[in-house]
Amino acid sequence: MTAEKTVNLQINGRFLQAREGMTILEVARREGIPILSLCHHDALEPVGACRLCLVEITHPDWKGWKGLVTACLYPVEEGLCVTTDNEDVRNTRRTVLDLLLARCPQSAVIQELAAEHGVTATSYRKSEVETTCILCGLCVRVCAVKGCSAIGTAGRGIRKAISIPFKQPPPDCIGCASCAHICPTGTIKYRDEGDIRKIWGHSFKMVKCESCGRPIMPEKQLEFEANKSGLHPDYFKVCPACAQQQTVQTIRSSFDMRTVQSGDSAQLAG
Amino acid sequence: MTKTLTITPSRCLACRTCELACSFKHAVDGRPGISRIRAFMFGEGRNQVLTCFQCDEAACVKVCPVEALSRNESTGAIEVNTARCIGCGLCSIACPFGHMSHDRASGVAVKCDLCGGEPVCAAFCPTRTLEYG
Repeated sequence: MTAEKTVNLQINGRFLQAREGMTILEVARREGIPILSLCHHDALEPVGACRLCLVEITHPDWKGWKGLVTACLYPVEEGLCVTTDNEDVRNTRRTVLDLLLARCPQSAVIQELAAEHGVTATSYRKSEVETTCILCGLCVRVCAVKGCSAIGTAGRGIRKAISIPFKQPPPDCIGCASCAHICPTGTIKYRDEGDIRKIWGHSFKMVKCESCGRPIMPEKQLEFEANKSGLHPDYFKVCPACAQQQTVQTIRSSFDMRTVQSGDSAQLAG
Repeated sequence: MTKTLTITPSRCLACRTCELACSFKHAVDGRPGISRIRAFMFGEGRNQVLTCFQCDEAACVKVCPVEALSRNESTGAIEVNTARCIGCGLCSIACPFGHMSHDRASGVAVKCDLCGGEPVCAAFCPTRTLEYG
């Protein structure tokens, strides 16, 4: 039997224990210590793309050496001393926000976040490409976790962009719009027009609720989800509100029937 | 054996105290719209209150792409790990009973978690329609 190894560390002077293999960000969030981040999600592999979670680390054995690391990627180790907020960290964070603002000056999310940290205008040359995408890659990772991997990144350096293969509607896209929901800057858009969902150049036909007719999800997604989960496709054909109505009506009618049979109806009506 | 939340519909007044208690327990603003329990009125004093059945083989758990739903072995309730939830809403669609919902404000799934073993709906129910034990 291998017991889980725990390590002792300090965050902002607080002595903490953590399981070996946890990242600094995981430990900090567990303890309620705020660390800014735009590209992190607990369900997805960390990649350290946004650089906003930079923290300062040092160690008693490191002879005074200290460095800045991304909290979302750095695994905790015995004796580690982490500082999440000092002048160096704040300055670096401001530079990162300054750079993000230069990349996407139009993004309201970035503007607001930068302003919160005292950056109102970028000191760098603004990007010539008009975008609000910060290349955090959450969309690409969530698409992979869903099991589709329909979107990815294309190009390198300043030309890197979230893209679909050959700029054509991706054949693996099921129209679930998870990429749009997780996007921190609202760059990825989709439109539901009646029973058609438009995303990534596709026009998906939506399945309508069998009871109320409200569009639920694209037909392609239904097929995908039924296959993946092993559930019968009928599980996905009624909207939550109608499913609840049906449940309560079924239960109520069976309860009424039983009450009538046992002769308790007088008591009920009274 | 784990405790069970029992509902006795004949005692229910549909006073919605459970909905309010639930909302205030799970969110500071107490919006009844995201209550995990719901009361329905059928007229003539026939009321029905419903919440998650905590199914043994739960559809919500099966469809979740990120394993954000798991059973708390001590209470028997299926709980949402809100940090893992990507808000795709698949669980609420797959639930055949319509017991799951999606909180637009926080963008995650919401469901009854039996308040970690002390359901406030049962504690506040004035007519003992909801009992936990």
